[in-house]
Amino acid sequence: MDNSVVEKIIKEIEQYKPSGEHAHVGLVVSVGDGVVAIDGLAKAVMSEILVFEETKGKKLADSIETRGELYGLILNLEEDGVRAAILGDTARVVEGMTVKSTGRVLSVPAGEELLGRVVNALGEPQDGKGPFKKTTMMPVERQASGVIDRKGVSVPLATGITAIDAMIPIGRGQRELLIGDRATGKTTIAVDTIINQLNEPEEKRPICIYVAVGQKQSKTARIAQQLREAGAMDYTIIVDEPASAPAALQYLAPFAGVAMGEYFMDKGKDVLIIYDDLSKQAVAYRELSLLLRRPPGREAYPGDIFYLHSRLLERACRLNEEKGGGSITALPIIETQEGDVSAYIPTNVISITDGQIFLVTDLFNKGVRPAIDVGISVSRVGSSAQTKAMKAVAGGLKLELAQFRDLEAFTQFAQDLDKVTADQLASGARMIELLKQKNGAPIPMEKQVAMLYGASLKLFSEVPVARVREAATKFVDFVDAQYKKVLAEIKKTAQLSDDSKKQLAKATEEFRLAHTDLFAAK
Amino acid sequence: MEQAYAQALMQLIEGGMQPKKALHALVESLKVKGREALLPRIARAFERLAQREMHKNAVVMSVAKEKDVHAGKRDAKELLETIGAESKDVEVRIDEDLIGGWRLEGRGMLVDRSFKKALLQMYNRATA
Repeated sequence: MDNSVVEKIIKEIEQYKPSGEHAHVGLVVSVGDGVVAIDGLAKAVMSEILVFEETKGKKLADSIETRGELYGLILNLEEDGVRAAILGDTARVVEGMTVKSTGRVLSVPAGEELLGRVVNALGEPQDGKGPFKKTTMMPVERQASGVIDRKGVSVPLATGITAIDAMIPIGRGQRELLIGDRATGKTTIAVDTIINQLNEPEEKRPICIYVAVGQKQSKTARIAQQLREAGAMDYTIIVDEPASAPAALQYLAPFAGVAMGEYFMDKGKDVLIIYDDLSKQAVAYRELSLLLRRPPGREAYPGDIFYLHSRLLERACRLNEEKGGGSITALPIIETQEGDVSAYIPTNVISITDGQIFLVTDLFNKGVRPAIDVGISVSRVGSSAQTKAMKAVAGGLKLELAQFRDLEAFTQFAQDLDKVTADQLASGARMIELLKQKNGAPIPMEKQVAMLYGASLKLFSEVPVARVREAATKFVDFVDAQYKKVLAEIKKTAQLSDDSKKQLAKATEEFRLAHTDLFAAK
Repeated sequence: MEQAYAQALMQLIEGGMQPKKALHALVESLKVKGREALLPRIARAFERLAQREMHKNAVVMSVAKEKDVHAGKRDAKELLETIGAESKDVEVRIDEDLIGGWRLEGRGMLVDRSFKKALLQMYNRATA
């Protein structure tokens, strides 16, 4: 054994005093599927943490080998005992085991040390980088900030995705739902939003928390790798409870994530939290509730399923200056089945959030990515947070695109089209191309503004539809190379001044002359 | 359902009825309702209830060696008073795994002053 350990043990022996502490205990009467029924614990409180006494009846050597303490979380207070969820391996709990109450409600470690790390719902490191040294414990269940402590949403949270920043803007402190069928790009939008925060100055950059609930571990590992490669892990925490984790931990993961976020919000910082996804959390909670013998309701979900999501999402807010001015922006994700947004959980979360971005399989398969259905996507509070520069160039964009979609569907059966309709369709098709974006390549706000301003000057109306994306990229690169000052000014002031407009108009003319190949034929 | 019948039987007995008489009343009632088949399950549920009640009131002191019992009871005197138990109510068990000291468990309380626990705590702190 290491000498320092021996010295520590000697010191411990010298300082040893028998403790007179007594604990309230109960006895495990039944256990199964991650839920345990305990007799006794008359003084237990709701959401209290319990410790299972695994060392009873074991030899000292065997007790030393026990892998950390095993905790439980009280979820039901009953006449003769309690029912609790096991926060770990169910196989470690046996009938007749003594359970100690701790008098503590569930809390997780939070702090700067967690940045760049992957943790589980209990805040335990999952990335093999060792334990945390100095953290603050934050309660997993906390009352959301009151009305008096809050402030309206007015600061933008740029996603770097032009279609969103222009048409469905998100503000800091907002809750914007990402909803759609499987494989429609919901997680991609969330991850790109995290990566885009690199474009923010460090002092304004939000802390990002990605909560993976019931996901494949390979997917979470890939996201962690992508964030690491982009340099975004430095300001990101990943809370991971994979599909193989017990239902209790999957249910707790979003609450653990927001508790970690509240630490930073209380310090006046901005936080972006992504819950990927809340439909899987709802399924985990349903499983847990049925095992706890709570009465099932619609689709067998318990009666408090709405409260589960509302109390979680209410914790996203923007605090006023007296409270430090911090914020938590939430991007919950909901997976729909066959595009059915009227199902139970989707309608619940739609009604709780401040808007939704609806992603459609058809568009995705057509190559429109991000596959946003502009018609039913909305941001209820984000427009007040949109920069003036973006407002100036994206004013009628949403309406134009929605009209294009309607017209496109209608004209599928038409033979002859009048010129106005044909022009509108051509313009819409170009706009769709313009808003297409590769994943992992967010665009800074000033470049988005320059690109959309170019479009408003009909720069791309003479470019063949198939080459619009190429033309837009080249135009942005051209402005970045030749008109750096204009971009810097837009970034600094978040406004599009008359002078900037003139400069950009000049840039479009120069670009047209320099790239005649793009404008040669329609 | 057997749980409800077992609880009713327990309440009758706790209410002062002779166990034999209470059981007879239960059997008669089951016969009237045609539920005699439930009887073995009710018996098992009653056994569990009785064990639970016994456990609620039992106070167990575990010691590593027989000779530690006296010292243990002396040390735990105050605690026994707190939980409303007397020294004679304490059931003593020998558990060599405790190494030394004592451990008192009962009536919803646990005090562990065994050497095993102390050594474990020291080990965990030293190796943390």
